[in-house]
Order: sequence, then structure tokens, then C-alpha cells
Amino acid sequence: MRKFILKRLLQVVVILFLILTILFVLFRLAPGDPVSRLVDPNLTPEEADHLIEQMGLKEPIWTQYLMYLKNFASGEFGYSFHYGEPVAKVIWERLPNTVMLFTTAVILAALVGISWGKIAAWKKGRFQDILLTIASLVTHTLFLPWLALLLVWVFAYHMEWFPITGMISDEIWLDPSSGFFGKLVDVAHHMVLPLATLFLIHFGSYLLVMRSSMLETLKEDYILLARAKGLSERAIRNQHAAPNAWLPVVTSVGLSLAFSINGGALTETVFSWPGIGREMVFAVSNNDYPLAQASFLLIAAVVLMANLVVDVLYAYLDPRIRY
Amino acid sequence: MSKLLKASPRLARRHPWQERLAEDWRVFRSSLLGKIGMALLLLFGLMAAGSYIPPLLDPMYHPMTGVDPLVLKSTPPSARHWLGTDFMGRDIFSQLLAGARVAFMVGVSAAFMAVVLGTAVGMTAGYMGRLTETILMRLADMIMVMPTLLIILLLAALFGKLNIWTIVLMIALFRWPGVSRVIRAQTLSLKQRPFIDAARVAGASHFRIIFRHIMPNVLPLAFLYMTFRVTAAIVIEAGLAFLGFGDPGTVSWGMMLQWVWKTGHMFTAPYWLLPPGICISLITLSFYMLGRAMDEVLDPRLREEGQRE
Amino acid sequence: MPLLSVENLCIGYRTAQGLLKAVEGVNFTLEAGSSLGLVGESGCGKTTIGMALMGLLPPNGRISEGRIVLDGVDLAALSEEELRAVRWRDVAMIFQAAMNALNPVQRVSRQMTEAISTHRPELGKEELLGQVEGLFQLVGLPLARLHDYPHQYSGGMKQRAIIAMALALNPKLIIADEPTTALDVVVQDQILKETKALQDKFHMGIIFISHDISIVAEVCQHIGVMYAGQLVESGSTEQVFYSPRHPYTMALVNSFPTLTGERKELTPIPGEPPNLIGVIPGCRFCDRCPRSEAFCKLEPPSWQEVAAGHRVLCDHC
Repeated sequence: MRKFILKRLLQVVVILFLILTILFVLFRLAPGDPVSRLVDPNLTPEEADHLIEQMGLKEPIWTQYLMYLKNFASGEFGYSFHYGEPVAKVIWERLPNTVMLFTTAVILAALVGISWGKIAAWKKGRFQDILLTIASLVTHTLFLPWLALLLVWVFAYHMEWFPITGMISDEIWLDPSSGFFGKLVDVAHHMVLPLATLFLIHFGSYLLVMRSSMLETLKEDYILLARAKGLSERAIRNQHAAPNAWLPVVTSVGLSLAFSINGGALTETVFSWPGIGREMVFAVSNNDYPLAQASFLLIAAVVLMANLVVDVLYAYLDPRIRY
Repeated sequence: MSKLLKASPRLARRHPWQERLAEDWRVFRSSLLGKIGMALLLLFGLMAAGSYIPPLLDPMYHPMTGVDPLVLKSTPPSARHWLGTDFMGRDIFSQLLAGARVAFMVGVSAAFMAVVLGTAVGMTAGYMGRLTETILMRLADMIMVMPTLLIILLLAALFGKLNIWTIVLMIALFRWPGVSRVIRAQTLSLKQRPFIDAARVAGASHFRIIFRHIMPNVLPLAFLYMTFRVTAAIVIEAGLAFLGFGDPGTVSWGMMLQWVWKTGHMFTAPYWLLPPGICISLITLSFYMLGRAMDEVLDPRLREEGQRE
Repeated sequence: MPLLSVENLCIGYRTAQGLLKAVEGVNFTLEAGSSLGLVGESGCGKTTIGMALMGLLPPNGRISEGRIVLDGVDLAALSEEELRAVRWRDVAMIFQAAMNALNPVQRVSRQMTEAISTHRPELGKEELLGQVEGLFQLVGLPLARLHDYPHQYSGGMKQRAIIAMALALNPKLIIADEPTTALDVVVQDQILKETKALQDKFHMGIIFISHDISIVAEVCQHIGVMYAGQLVESGSTEQVFYSPRHPYTMALVNSFPTLTGERKELTPIPGEPPNLIGVIPGCRFCDRCPRSEAFCKLEPPSWQEVAAGHRVLCDHC
């Protein structure tokens, strides 16, 4: 197992290296002056020179490539035009917000999708199944930003139950008397709608995968044997069918992660959630290339690591797989 | 039991593939999802075809450049503008029709390219094996886990605003790996069949074996995947447009949503917010349902299950 | 009183094409400690009978007529709840394709103890494990492999584990549905012999379902031959296997090589069994029967007792 994880980690590193290389090449191919893309015109000449030095922009292209790799390896992602701060600082500040929103949403959606998919398969063709299947089909094909706008319109604008955008309210965070709990509630309050958006879009696909996987599993001989042993229907469903049916769902969560990240960026943008996806969209709009590039690389790294976690989880759930 | 369930042998004397096609069509028609999907797509097809009409009636109905000189701001639906007008007085209904055309164009062409690419890669990898296979499949794995929308965003940051065909090409370039995996698996199993060996012994070239013997057998599967790719392509284009990185020269549904959002009309103009969102969601749903129905046609296991209930 | 008596059993499946009568008017009895083999080609209804004995017909299947009396209790009349208590305690099953009958993500020990604890919830963990160890020794499985996962077992070991599981509650009746089809011939033979020995030891009834009459003849004292949902010939193994009277049985005997190598000309049976949806007025085998005459197709054949206990459903015998 340890060997497998190490091997996969190495793979992740190789893939990141490949992405870096491709980006370097594309960057050189792109029209326009590379220096002006990397160095903020608002910097003082001394600062600009220092930056040019650090990135090796005056050196020959091979040296530049090596310096570029070295900078990324050591966490020097360049300087953001928009914020006038090192990119690393900006993205490390944003990352926890994204992870908080995104992981909560995906885990919640997976748990609900799996348990409801189980029920739908069990009650195949009956009312619960039809309702759940239609609901999943519809929610999971909704256009995400549109759903987000609808939720804001109904629940924030009309009902005024939730704030329209953002992650925190200034009046609570600037007030020294509000304690940790107050701040926590405030963030949770802001998180409800973005979370609901991501949840609604995702649970349906997990539900449908779980449902069809469960239906396949129910045809297996070991289910018949469990029934022949006189087990209760509940025990058959939860102890024999479901643990086998989880496996394809785990795979599908891993494979759909890239798709989910797209949705995450859209959600963050609509709700002005200060996460890394929104930062990347902003950076692209503001021609802040260093920030956009670093955000993308960080997201790619996170996706690759998440896929690694999914593989390990799969091996844990399926005793037939031993790495 | 399955043997018993089979109907007695049919007496039809048609050509086998005609028989097969007729049978497939029968299964497809019996699928409710397929029927609904087809009906919805037909509706969108009509919308796309109808998109050429309004600009002919009056230049103010042109989705992009037509402005109603009497309005010049967003107005609710009226007899003159069935779905109202946008922030500068353009007709929303005409835009919606034009959006259908763009959606089909983007969806079908990107999906077609992705499927052609994926099928070619999948067949090559499966047939050649060894190093070729490893390299191609690792590449596919790598692209597969990358968020397409964000990659295209980054490319937009490098190359500036992308036009619609560049976007289509990008989507195709990043959406082929799923297809190639499936096609590779299919090719691997085909490779074991005797008729491939027979062809090889008879002296057929690799090229001929791939295109004459393997391709006809993987094409149905490739088409199934095409319906799913269409969905992905439409959603990605809409997402890009929504974020403000669409082709500024086209009116897509994502673009319309971007306008309603960026001009701050989303809380006050439901007549403008609702139609494009409903259209994107419904066209996604209908392609998805179509894909499911085709799944049933191509997978005999699912078919049998459908008959038993 | 026999251990099991099946009286006029009729089972139908609802299908899209109509009601499929998978089993029609089947009668047989089984004494405690004896064994009956049900033979026929796939789709003849033998597996359906096995499933009906367990009360495990698929959702679209139903016993439309008849009784299944096990030790004085009519299983066909029990509720689902009552059946659940009977399963495995009174009737256990050795499955067709035992390869897939073990749950791949659960340890074998857990799958074994589960069978016992479901019916005897009063037993503690230690006692359960003790019993399972005893069963492992009984079927000759190494105790060291008790806590393995199924994929770590060989095909033969899986089959033994399934047999051990069937013996777990000392049931009155065991149904073995093609228990050895997926195994290679040597292991197959070995397991059949051991099964026979275990049956003698525990004095339970066995119904052995197979498409291969030569295997059944080796293991069972009685044989029932099924064709298209009906029993067409029944009697002792001597009678049915060595002097078959029904043309279908004769064809079956000639279509399999025997394990013990006696060389015979193997003849396949031409044609296909009839479609069981709809009414079949005459003999079901007449289309494939070398002896068929005009009236066979029109009137149902009647049972002939050709020797003591040897009955044939054919008017020509």
C-alpha cells in the first residue's frame, strides 16, 4: 500500500511537471511581450528589476525554463498585478475557503446521493424511486450559475433569509465583542446558498450511479444466498448489497471531480465566495496572468491529490484490490 | 430464465443489419426517456431553424445588433417583444432562438470532434498495445482529471478572447479521453476475436484492420458517447460565456445569462433570467435522456431488464 | 410420512409476452436421508422448483397451485416472515455458480457466522466462531483461512465453504443447484463424494439439480427427469438411468459422457423445447420425439407405471 501511494505521488509530480512545461511553452507561443505579462507595470523600476532577475527573464530560454521550474518548486509563484502581493500569499489565503465549501458540498452530496440511491434501487419502479430518479435527473442537468442565481433571487432577495453574496459580514467580524461562535454562525449563514447550489447539482449524479450500481448488485448470487440464509431485508440491503454498490460510486466521484471543480469556480463567482476558483476567474478578467496560472496549478494539484485519496479509499473498501 | 423469455424465432427475411436497426429502433421507441428527449430536441431544433426568421421581419429583431428604438432598456414581455427586451432594447425571444442555434452548433461539432479524436486514440491504443498504449492512456488519464472550463479560462488569459470555433476546438481537445477509454476496452476485446486474426493472416495491413474490421464494431458505442459529449460541450460553452469569456460575436444562452447578471437585472427581470436558464437545462436534460435511451438500445442486459418489468 | 412432498406444483412467471408456466403439475416425494436428482436442460423448470422450495421465487414468479409440504408444514402457504425463519434452518441451499455466491467484500468467517446468528441470536461471538471452526474441519478447509476474503480462496475452497454454510444449522433438506458445474472434473468428483458422505452422516434429504444426468446418477438414489416444466419420468436411479423409458430421458442419457469413461456414441437432441407461454394441448416433447404420432400433439399424455415406483409420462411406454 505504501509503495502504491508513493508511486502515485510520483505520478502526480510528473503530471504537474508536464503541465508546467506545457504552460511554459504556451506562454512563449502566446502573442505579446512575456515580460509585461509577468511584471506588473505599477511596480517601481527597482522592484520590477528584482522580479525580472528572480524569474530570469533576461536569461536564455533554457535558463528561464529551469528558473521557472525552480520557482514553482520552491513556492515562488510570482507577483499578482491586481493585489500587488506575492501570488503565493493570495492563493494560500483563498484555498481554505474553497476547501471548506467544496469538500462539505461533495461529501454531503455523496452521502445523500448514496443513501437515497440505495432506497431508490430498493423500491425500484415504485413511487419513491420514480420521484428520486426524476428529481436527480432534473437537478443534475440544471445549469449551475442559473440555479445559483435563482436561489439568490428567491431565498436571499425575496425571502431575505440569507445574505446575497460574500462569506462574512463586516459588522460581525469588525465588532470585537462577537466571539468565535458568532463568527462561525455568520460564515455558516453565508455558506448555505452556495452549499445548496453545489449540493443540488451533485447529489443527483451520485444518486443515479448508486441506484444503477445497486440494481446490478441485487442481481448477484450472494444477494440470493443472503436471502436464502433468512436474513432480514434490511440486513441484505445494508450489509450485503450496499457495500458492494459503493465501489462504482467511489470511482465516479473521483472521475467527476474535475467537472465538480468547474462548478465550484462558477458557484464561487456567483456568490462572491472568496475562494481560489473565483480568484482565478478574476485574475483572467484582470489580465493578472501570474495569479491565474498559479491558481490553476494549485487546483490541478488538489484534483490530482483528491484522485489519489479516492484510489486509496477504493482499495480500503474493496478487499480484492491490494496495491 | 432468459432463454425461455426469448420469443420464438422470427420469420423475417430482411438483411441482418436491417433487422438489427429495426430492432434497435423498436427498443428506442419503447423507452419513455428516449421519447421525451427526442421530442424536446425536436423542439430545440425548430427553435434553431426558426432563429433565421425574426431578423427578416424587422432589423430590430436581430439578436445581436437589433435594438428597438422605442425602448432602449429592459422591458417586460409585450406583443411587440414576446419575452421582453434586454438592457439595451434587444428582443429576448430572438436571442433565445439564436441561442438554440449556437447550442446545437457548439454541442454537436465539439462532440463530433471529441468522439472522432477519442475513437482514433482509443482504437490505436487498443490495437497497437505496448508503449503506444501506455503513453496514450496516461495522457488520457491526465487530461481526464483536469477541469476543462478552467483550462480554457487559462488559455483565454494567454491568448485573449476566444472565438466560438476556438472554444469548440478546445472543448473537443479536452473531452476525448472518456471516449478513448471505452473504445480502447472495446478494441481490446475485439482484438481477441478470430476474425481479426483471420484478417491478419490474410495479410491485411494494420490500417486496414483498424478501419475495416475494428471501426465498424466500435462506432455504435462511439455514437452513444457522442450524445453525452454534446451535453458537456454545451455546458462548458455556457459556463465560459456566463463568466464573460464567450465569443463576443455570438448570442448564446450563457451569454444572455451573463448580460442579465452583469447588468444587475437578475432580481428585477425574471422574463429575462428564466428563459435562457430553462433552455440550457432542458437541452442538457434531453441529450442526457437520449443518451440513456441509447444506452438501453446498445446494452442488451439493460434491454432484457426493461422487458421483464 | 415423507420428509418432503410436492403435490401438483404449478409456478408461473409474469412476462411482457404473457404468463409463462415454468412448472406445471409436478409431484414428487423425498424421504429423510435420501436424495433425489432433478435433471433437465436449462429452462425446464428445475431451478424454479429449487427456488420455490426456498420460497425465493423472483418478484414476477408465483406458485399458482399445489402444495410443498416439508415435515407437515405447507411452505407454499407461509407468509414471507414465516418463510424467513424456515430458510436455512430447515431448508438450505448449495448454489449454482458458488464462485459468485460469496460476498466479495466480507470475510468468509463473517458470512458463515451470520447464517447461524440470524436464526440463533442467543449465541455469543465465541460460540459462533467455535461452530464455524467445527464446520470448517468437517468440510476439510484449513482453519487458518477462516478470516480470509473469498477472492483468496480457490474455486474448490469456495465450494467447500458454501457446503459448510449449508450444513451450519443442520437443516432437514438441502437443495444443491448445479453445485459443481464451474469446477474442474477432479475437484468436482471429490466434492460430490464428500457431499454424499456428509449426507449419510447427517441423515438429511438432498435435492440435487443438474443438467447432467450422469452426475446425478452417481450421487442420487432417485431421479426425476423434467422437460418443459413437467416431470416426465421418475423412479430410482437404477430404473431411470439404466433403463430409461421416456424418449427424452433416453436422449439425455445418450447425450452426456459418463465420468467413468464407458465409451458410447453421444447423440445431441435435435430441436428446441416449446414456448411455455400459452396453452400446449398435447405432449410437450412430441416435436422432437422419434416415436411421436399424430395423436401425441392433440391430447396430453398420461402417467404409466412401468415398474414399481418407475413412472413415465408417455403413452407409448
